[in-house]
Amino acid sequence: MPAGAVRGRAAQRAGGVTRRVDSTARGLRRVPGNRPPEERREPERRRRRRKKHYKLISLGEGLDMPLLVFIMVLLAIGLVMLFSASYAESYYREDNSYFYIVRQGEFALFGVAAMLFISTIDYHYYHRGRTTLWVAVGTVLLLVLTLLIGSSEGEATRWLELGPVRLQPSEVAKFAIILLFADFVSRWEKEMDTFRRGVMPFALVLVLFAGLVMAEHHLSGTLIIGLLGFMMMFVGGTKFRWLAMGALGAALVVYLYMNRGGEGSEAYQMGRIEVWLNPFEENDATWQTRQSLYAIGSGGLFGVGLGQSRQKYMYLPKPQNDFIFAIVCEELGLVGALVIMILFALLVWRGVHISLNAKDTFGKMLGLGLTFQIGLQAALNICVVTNTVPNTGISLPFFSYGGTALLMLLGEMGILLNISRSANVEKT
Amino acid sequence: MAKGTAEKIRKKAIGLMCGLLIVGFGAAAMSLVHWQLINGEELSAKAMEQSLRSTGLPAMRGTIYDATGTKVLAQSASVWTVVLEPHYLAEDDNLRRKVANGLSEILGLDAAELYERTGEVGSYYDVIARKVETEVRDRITQFMNDNKIGNGIRLIADYKRYYPYGTVASNILGFTGDDSQGLEGLELYYEEELSGSAGRLIAAKNAFGTDMPFEYEQIVEAENGYNLVLTIDETVQSVLEKYLKEGIEKFWIKNGAVAVMMDVDTGGILGLATYPYYDPNDPFTILDQNLLEQVESVPEGDERIEVKREAMSVQWRNKAVSDLYYPGSVYKMCVGSMGIEEGLITEDSQYTCTGGEKLQGVKDPIHCWNHDGHGTTTFREGLCNSCNPWFMHIGRELGPDLFCRYREAFGLADKTGIDLPGEGRSILHSVDNMGEVELVVEAFGQNFSITPIQMITASAAVANGGYLVRPHVVDRIVDEDGNIVRNADCSYRRQVISEDTSATICDILRQNVASGTARGGYVSGYRICGKTGTSEKVDKHNEDLLEDPNAKMTYIASYCGFAPAEDPRYALLVFFDEPDASSNGGYTAGNAIAGPIFSAIMQELLPYLGVEVMYDEDEYNEHRDTAAPNVVGMTIREAVAAIREAGLEYDIEGNGDDEEGWDEYKITEQIPEGGATVPQEGKVVMFTTGYNVNEVMVEVPDFFQMDLINASYEAHINDLQITVNGNRDGDTRVMMQGIPAGEKVKKGTVITLTFASNLSTDTSVTIAE
Repeated sequence: MPAGAVRGRAAQRAGGVTRRVDSTARGLRRVPGNRPPEERREPERRRRRRKKHYKLISLGEGLDMPLLVFIMVLLAIGLVMLFSASYAESYYREDNSYFYIVRQGEFALFGVAAMLFISTIDYHYYHRGRTTLWVAVGTVLLLVLTLLIGSSEGEATRWLELGPVRLQPSEVAKFAIILLFADFVSRWEKEMDTFRRGVMPFALVLVLFAGLVMAEHHLSGTLIIGLLGFMMMFVGGTKFRWLAMGALGAALVVYLYMNRGGEGSEAYQMGRIEVWLNPFEENDATWQTRQSLYAIGSGGLFGVGLGQSRQKYMYLPKPQNDFIFAIVCEELGLVGALVIMILFALLVWRGVHISLNAKDTFGKMLGLGLTFQIGLQAALNICVVTNTVPNTGISLPFFSYGGTALLMLLGEMGILLNISRSANVEKT
Repeated sequence: MAKGTAEKIRKKAIGLMCGLLIVGFGAAAMSLVHWQLINGEELSAKAMEQSLRSTGLPAMRGTIYDATGTKVLAQSASVWTVVLEPHYLAEDDNLRRKVANGLSEILGLDAAELYERTGEVGSYYDVIARKVETEVRDRITQFMNDNKIGNGIRLIADYKRYYPYGTVASNILGFTGDDSQGLEGLELYYEEELSGSAGRLIAAKNAFGTDMPFEYEQIVEAENGYNLVLTIDETVQSVLEKYLKEGIEKFWIKNGAVAVMMDVDTGGILGLATYPYYDPNDPFTILDQNLLEQVESVPEGDERIEVKREAMSVQWRNKAVSDLYYPGSVYKMCVGSMGIEEGLITEDSQYTCTGGEKLQGVKDPIHCWNHDGHGTTTFREGLCNSCNPWFMHIGRELGPDLFCRYREAFGLADKTGIDLPGEGRSILHSVDNMGEVELVVEAFGQNFSITPIQMITASAAVANGGYLVRPHVVDRIVDEDGNIVRNADCSYRRQVISEDTSATICDILRQNVASGTARGGYVSGYRICGKTGTSEKVDKHNEDLLEDPNAKMTYIASYCGFAPAEDPRYALLVFFDEPDASSNGGYTAGNAIAGPIFSAIMQELLPYLGVEVMYDEDEYNEHRDTAAPNVVGMTIREAVAAIREAGLEYDIEGNGDDEEGWDEYKITEQIPEGGATVPQEGKVVMFTTGYNVNEVMVEVPDFFQMDLINASYEAHINDLQITVNGNRDGDTRVMMQGIPAGEKVKKGTVITLTFASNLSTDTSVTIAE
């Protein structure tokens, strides 16, 4: 048990220190004139090392409270807005106004529990032995499985149904990329400027994952995986010119993909560009974007009031999913939307802050990856909803309906919290 | 961990974070400002627009009442439109079958087709039946409740037009279309007043079209249409139609007929009957036998549809308002008035008729109907003889200018402005084109075309002291609560002739009916003024001649008069278009055809209209008709005494026909009814209980063409009684009977017979064009 191991080791070390400098877990109780002068040279380091005890039962200990608060506030707002946005859809289509909120609420409760539990698992565990390898292999298997037996929704085949659980393996792939790249960077941090270490392994994994997700016709998934990969390589120290070349290559691939001969898909993807350019042309393709903009426009500065959206009454299709932010804008107005964006920004800032305080490169990279993932998804989603970029189909973290996605998100937040906990408890 | 690496990571991570937040969120925030603040109102309006649905609330169309204000001629009643909302049904096959079967049973529609129509996903409005009665609606609601069907079938309120009196006044009332819009007649002319304004219900709807739980709901109440109260009296109208129909059948009229009765002082039309007619409840069925045969003679296909369309437009047409005709000799009452008014003639002026006059530029001489000529006569005699040369003389005396000015003054150059759609415009020779021939021919009523309504308006001016009135059929427009919105304009437009001239002409016309050429219109007990007209359809004849050199002239037989003579109140114009002389026994003339019908109508209506009977001495001796005493409720003995006292005979039907039961049984019914007219030495048939219905009913025989003796005998053997109307000098015969032949009536019923002679006064006036 890693938790047990950590606890044992920490307790052993803490015990040793306690005996030597006569301090308690609450901090140093200094006795003037009783301190050896050589120990004063590093008071900071010592104090920190001895400050905290790490215990399984004290969940709050070492947790970064601001991050937890941002997560919980966003989750709460997200659930309220999901209830409001899904109300009409549940009422008219499912004959039960609480259909979506009850499911999402269950997942949220379970997810928060999971988050807190995961926050107690030392993230080094993911770094150890062959964990990363198994994660990589498992993800590839899931992605291949999806291509074979996945269920389609419209154009894309992106869902895998395992009994009662409905999973988007691309979500898993995002996490796998973050984990693998954090592992790679920490493993070869001295050689990141070389092609052999700094590019090759990354590129291989990226091409494999992104390729498989792209094969599902899951453009947004591909996009996020690609962007996340690039961001982590950039932060990890890969030479900029390789990244530029890679970006160029990726752009070429995307261009070819969208212009490839064939029916359906290419028309579908090109259609999105058309819709983006002319959102108010009256046809079926523009319907969702048009209704989204109607909703946003109806909100004005202060919104029509919580629960008062009209657009959710079957005008905006599936308002509980990717376009939930349009209903937020309609009901809470520009002010509400900005507050939520600021909350996301604060979350990202806190995530970056925690990551940079991690005790090792793996922790830094893992934390940054998870944080950037949320920031990237939130920004892209809001840009899509406001028709700032073409519609790709990205859900809004904490808001959009989707049980397994929420569960994964909260699990990832658990990891981020554990990074904060580790950094606070002990610096090596 | 190298410090250098950590520092690099820190810098890059913070840079990336700032980039992400600034670019990503910044762009999104700018978009939000753009959409919410700059374009917010526009987008919000568009969103509102798509979610607000306005539903029409139909306004109830106004009711049309007859002159009594109690009889409803046209009325709207609630009906329902049945609409399917297939979207709510499509996914449940059992439900679809249930709905399809249930509705097909209730509405009589094809179940398979309904089943098909319930399968349309995404469709929320499919009308399957319109104008469904409330009773059917109740059955559908019941069906929905029984089967717990909430969504999927909708019932939308609507109105349907009913015409309780069926064909009566159809050509005046018109009819409405599917959307309750007026298509003909008053329904069309008064569309705006009748239709009211539809209300609107504005409500927020979701994209399914069902209600949203929002308070936004705005109702603009429907404003029901105004009601019309007509000058048309249903009783008058029915009598006109009854006799018109009889005339059509008796005289083999080929081209329809018109009877118009007008209040000469106000211009209100009391009745306006035209033939052919239709049933406004079902305007697309052709009722006239001739028209129907015409349609059916054409092979099925497009051509037939075209012919049927024409036939329908013929039966919808208001012949009295839309069709033009030569007024013929009826017009002489106007020309005579002009002459007297201008002082060119007096009633004693003299002129010599030689039977015809040769005019320059015309091959044949223009004949008087009496080819031998009337010799030298006074104007009074000339009008009573309907002498054409006399009126040619008046025309010449007046000259084109004066003649045309009077013609205009009588309202013949303009539309009368009657409140019915499709009024025809008269065709007259203009003053510049009026040579001598045109002038003298117009002077006796030929070769110019006016509408019947123009003619009766002009004759009303002759009758009422010279005032030209505005003919109208709507007396007043009232709102739902009975407040008068608008009254008819009963003022006169101008005075055409003086009251003296009017009185003189009326007196001559009275003599005309009593002893002149218009005796066919004589009404026993009333002073009637009348003038016959037999118009030659010259233009049609000329066309016919091109096809068949032996074609016979066709005629319009008309009779126009007013009563009572001492103070004319009601004018009546009857005209029959193209009597088939070869089939009806040689009747073509106004006096013979239109006269008796005029007489029969007046005889029946003048008492109803409150004009009192005034017999002169001769008449009194002939018409010692008495009123039957009211004996209903008396014992037989009392009743017999009462009837004997009145100088009448009696018959008893049912129990008590021998004297034993006379004190026991009471009279339950009597024919004629108490107060009704019984002929001299007539009888009253009394009914007690226990008579056999079949035994006391008799079939009315056809009295047509019988003389008085035969008619009396025929009535006697059928246990009927007759009263005599009309002219009985010489060889007059029955022209009209008050109850049509073949109808079943009770024994003792009194039938009014109208007698007239076949005097052809106006024929043989051949005019070459």
